[in-house]
Amino acid sequence: MRRCTAVALAAAALLALPAAAQTSGLGLLNSILGGQQGGSASPAAALGSLLGGTQPTATAAPANDLMTLLSQADGTIDETREIEIGRQLAAVLLGSKPLHADAALQRYVNQLGRWISLQSARPLLPWTFGVLDDPGFNAFAAPGGFVFVTRGLVDRVDEAELAGILAHEITHVTERHHLQALRSKARAGLATQLLGSQIRTSNAVGSLVSQQMLALGRNLYFSGLDQSDEFEADRQGVALAARSGFDPYGLPGVLQQLRSAAPDNPLFALSLSTHPPAQQRLDLLEQAMGRRLDALAGKPVVRIEQRLAQPKR
Amino acid sequence: MIRARSRSSAGAWLFALVLAASLPAPAQAQEEPALARRTTELREAPGEAGRSLATLAADTPLTRLADRQGPWVRVRTAAGATGWVHLFDLGPASGAAGTSGGGAASALRGVASFFTKPSQQRAITPTSTIGIRGLGAEDLAQAQPDTAAVTRMEALRVAEPQARQFAREAALRTESVEPLPVPARSGQGGQP
Repeated sequence: MRRCTAVALAAAALLALPAAAQTSGLGLLNSILGGQQGGSASPAAALGSLLGGTQPTATAAPANDLMTLLSQADGTIDETREIEIGRQLAAVLLGSKPLHADAALQRYVNQLGRWISLQSARPLLPWTFGVLDDPGFNAFAAPGGFVFVTRGLVDRVDEAELAGILAHEITHVTERHHLQALRSKARAGLATQLLGSQIRTSNAVGSLVSQQMLALGRNLYFSGLDQSDEFEADRQGVALAARSGFDPYGLPGVLQQLRSAAPDNPLFALSLSTHPPAQQRLDLLEQAMGRRLDALAGKPVVRIEQRLAQPKR
Repeated sequence: MIRARSRSSAGAWLFALVLAASLPAPAQAQEEPALARRTTELREAPGEAGRSLATLAADTPLTRLADRQGPWVRVRTAAGATGWVHLFDLGPASGAAGTSGGGAASALRGVASFFTKPSQQRAITPTSTIGIRGLGAEDLAQAQPDTAAVTRMEALRVAEPQARQFAREAALRTESVEPLPVPARSGQGGQP
């Protein structure tokens, strides 16, 4: 939280520097954040990502470098590298399911998600949202601002419920939950173990994702995050959705759906196996919310089809 | 989603019907057996101001209907009366799925679990050859990184001004909301 403000301030300070001074400025920024110098991240790339610009992949840190960084006991992962790790994990998810072809739907989810992200603790990340073409009921995030929902989820929720889900995933990103999980896995030597136990597949030439990162990413999305991280994302997500102008009961509404899903329903299997039981999540939300947000809940229900049917600007 | 081959035979029709019957309907559209978790009012309209139709004792069996308005969920009593109860006052009928199972605990997790009780390990259900399943273990195990798709996704990004424009058109206004308090460690999730 405080660090991200420091980054933003430092970035703003850098913007005011003459071009010649910027390289040393970045070195200073890195040392403030405890990040490692080296790699080929340029100041422009760092600033670009801070300011939400697209990041040229040419400046990506080598994949092995990122694994080394994750395995270290100390040292902060700076935002540029966080985004790069996120890109690689997003590539793993998109390798398991493609983006949905409906451009209007993708645009709508990006508008909705970006609006919610503006109310979050890290509004300057390059937030990127996508709908996966998958009939299952699930949502994922990756470090640095990548958020995914499945088509099967979008089909079953209204706008406030989708906002609740996006706010939950946005919280995982702002709180760096995936990075923490990756670091503990990397330090436990899991990547090496996983590589030993699986059939090596040859990566396409020039792939930016190392075998180790691929193994860690697959494991991460299969096993899910720590339960306490999920409870935190529920609690903060409800407040974030409410702050963005939505019915605060969107996320509890989705949890009620999850609660009534049969545990062997193949559309809900991965959601249910990677999250704490829905009733427990609802109990904790009830303790946190009480009735204090009920006054914000008197909003008309907006169906997603209604939004998509509205004339495009 | 399902591509039935265009054999205009009764057999194909029957197969399609059986297949359709085996697909789970959207959870939203389903009525779900439920219980009153505590003594609560069955209200005529969603809201604390709604006239009370009846007082429901704790554990009164109910049927949850599809409608939700904010925290208010429409239910039907065994006697056939319908009305609204607060979402938090509604629990699953005993033996429902949502009361057990959950996160696959991993010894490798660095952060201490919120619960001291180890959560049950549950295997992902094996896929059936017919029917539809969601993204699962097999998809992840076989995933090869698709960086080109990430680039396509990044091209869909929405800039801040466009997001604010969207919010204006949707009449979304920011609200001042305090962070929610962290619940005291209650140890167990509330099974009444």
